[in-house]
Amino acid sequence: MILALSIGLLGLLALSIPVGIVLFLLGFGMDTFFSAFPLIRGLGNLVWSTSNNATLIAIPFFVLLGEILVRSGIATRTYAALDRWVSWLPGGLVHANVATATMFSATSGSSVATAATVATVAMPQAEKLGYDPRLFSGAIAAGGTLGIMIPPSINLIVYGFLTQTSIPQLFLAGLVPGIALALGFMAITAVICLIRPELGGTRRTFPLAEMLRALIQLVPIILLFTIIIGTIYNGWATPTEAAAVGVMGAIVIAALFGGVSIRMFAESLLGTVKITSMIMLVVIGASFLNFTLASAGLGRELQALLDGLGLTPTGLILVVVLIYIVLGFFIETLSLMVVTIPIIVPLVVAQGFDPIWFGILMIVLIEMALITPPVGLNLYVVQGARKSGKMSEVMVGAIPYVIAMLLMVGLLILFPGIALYLPSVLGGG
Amino acid sequence: MSDTLLHRLRRLNHGVALATGILLMACAALVLLDIVLRQLGSSFGGTDEISGYVMAIATSWGMAFTLLELGHVRIDILRGRAGRLGRALFDLFAMLTLTGTVTLIAYKCWPVVERSLANTSRANTPLETPLAWVQIPWFAGWIWFAVMAWLTFIAAARLILQGRLAEAEGAIGCFGEEEQAS
Repeated sequence: MILALSIGLLGLLALSIPVGIVLFLLGFGMDTFFSAFPLIRGLGNLVWSTSNNATLIAIPFFVLLGEILVRSGIATRTYAALDRWVSWLPGGLVHANVATATMFSATSGSSVATAATVATVAMPQAEKLGYDPRLFSGAIAAGGTLGIMIPPSINLIVYGFLTQTSIPQLFLAGLVPGIALALGFMAITAVICLIRPELGGTRRTFPLAEMLRALIQLVPIILLFTIIIGTIYNGWATPTEAAAVGVMGAIVIAALFGGVSIRMFAESLLGTVKITSMIMLVVIGASFLNFTLASAGLGRELQALLDGLGLTPTGLILVVVLIYIVLGFFIETLSLMVVTIPIIVPLVVAQGFDPIWFGILMIVLIEMALITPPVGLNLYVVQGARKSGKMSEVMVGAIPYVIAMLLMVGLLILFPGIALYLPSVLGGG
Repeated sequence: MSDTLLHRLRRLNHGVALATGILLMACAALVLLDIVLRQLGSSFGGTDEISGYVMAIATSWGMAFTLLELGHVRIDILRGRAGRLGRALFDLFAMLTLTGTVTLIAYKCWPVVERSLANTSRANTPLETPLAWVQIPWFAGWIWFAVMAWLTFIAAARLILQGRLAEAEGAIGCFGEEEQAS
């Protein structure tokens, strides 16, 4: 069964059938060949109960929030402000790329949107100030991946939903590793630019007054993050409700600081509907596959396989990490997450690992998938915004940041507390 | 003829998606109002329930728009290496499986609505919503998706048969224009 499932999964994906549909087809296959009862009778009910869900409505809300911030020009101002603050470091504006991506991660739930935003505002600066295009674009692709780690994160909502894990706790758990990764990215940039200063363009310092003035531009984003996270941990609102608060906050901020127009608003809504339906087709497909796998007794079979292999728990985690790295070359973020959760999470949890910790580990691995060729969505997004130069330059530029992510994976395995300390102290349901 | 059909489908779903987006916005406003009221000591209750229904309806009605905007993710690994005709065949095959699957889903959703209608079921919640009221719009969204998928499939198949491969790729290819541009 496991073999048939794996071959079916990879085969159907390779045929370029939409990922959500592949999951349904696998579910039908499980039903036909491995189940004693006709499970397809439950399909309608499952589609209804998966989408009639007040937790998942957080997804369109967070997408909309990000769309509004990006389209109203707040992103551009944030970038300019952060430039004033971090460009004195070795590597200059490259740090602004990472810092802007980090701040946007804190309000938007999507990696691609974050990378696209930063790429559009940053790229024109790179040539003007003489930066190495490889490092510069690599930093944007990598920084953008933080969007799915630093809360709020759509991927963590989906993980929490499919594994029945607390979403507020997942959000808390992602905070420290997310910030640590951002700092790691900046540290690696600084080290590279100290060794080879010609990569880093001009270091610039700005007068203090200008720096302080720039600070005002950062207020909206920080405020928004505080409101979203604050309402959740004060117990005023669930993550879903906080997302709704965030949407309204973004509209107010856009009206005060940026430009609001009917056109911009309509585009934001259309973008939201498009991304939400894309995510939901995959999520509903995964729920159906989950349901058929459970009924067909996948858990028992996996356990038997594992016992046969005689792996220690640590051995298992290392194998899992390796699987994600390899699959990550070819499959992307949400798809990678959703197709593997039904199979891998039960296995890992059965070995006594914390599902929250594993969620965070999985997110780092999936972030890596976003910037590893041949299929790395963020690489393409950044390349698309550059309009010149070779794709391979972005790929080379991303390598140092892949190394930082690998270090993070190692640290998370050695010290699970990096992820689990905050949730254990603050609780958060 | 196929291109006018596709153009019409796009415009139609553009409108549907906009309406869906407005529905989601309205829901966000409702949730916010509920939070504020709760802080003031009252609440209408049932916001969670309404959010769930909105999500179900918005999800099913947004699907066709995402399809026409080429937003449903596909893995481009073999397809990207094929020639123009090869890509067209990959696209058409993927489109056919999607259309078939979605038709089956829509068909299997009907018994859910049928049962609610037959039993005049109400939700087991404070609002006691008659389930058919929310399940019929949800079900209609899946039917809409299936019909749109068939029309898109037929239009794209015609384009491919006429040898207009570039246009077919624009209709059922792998990436939307927006992603390539942004």
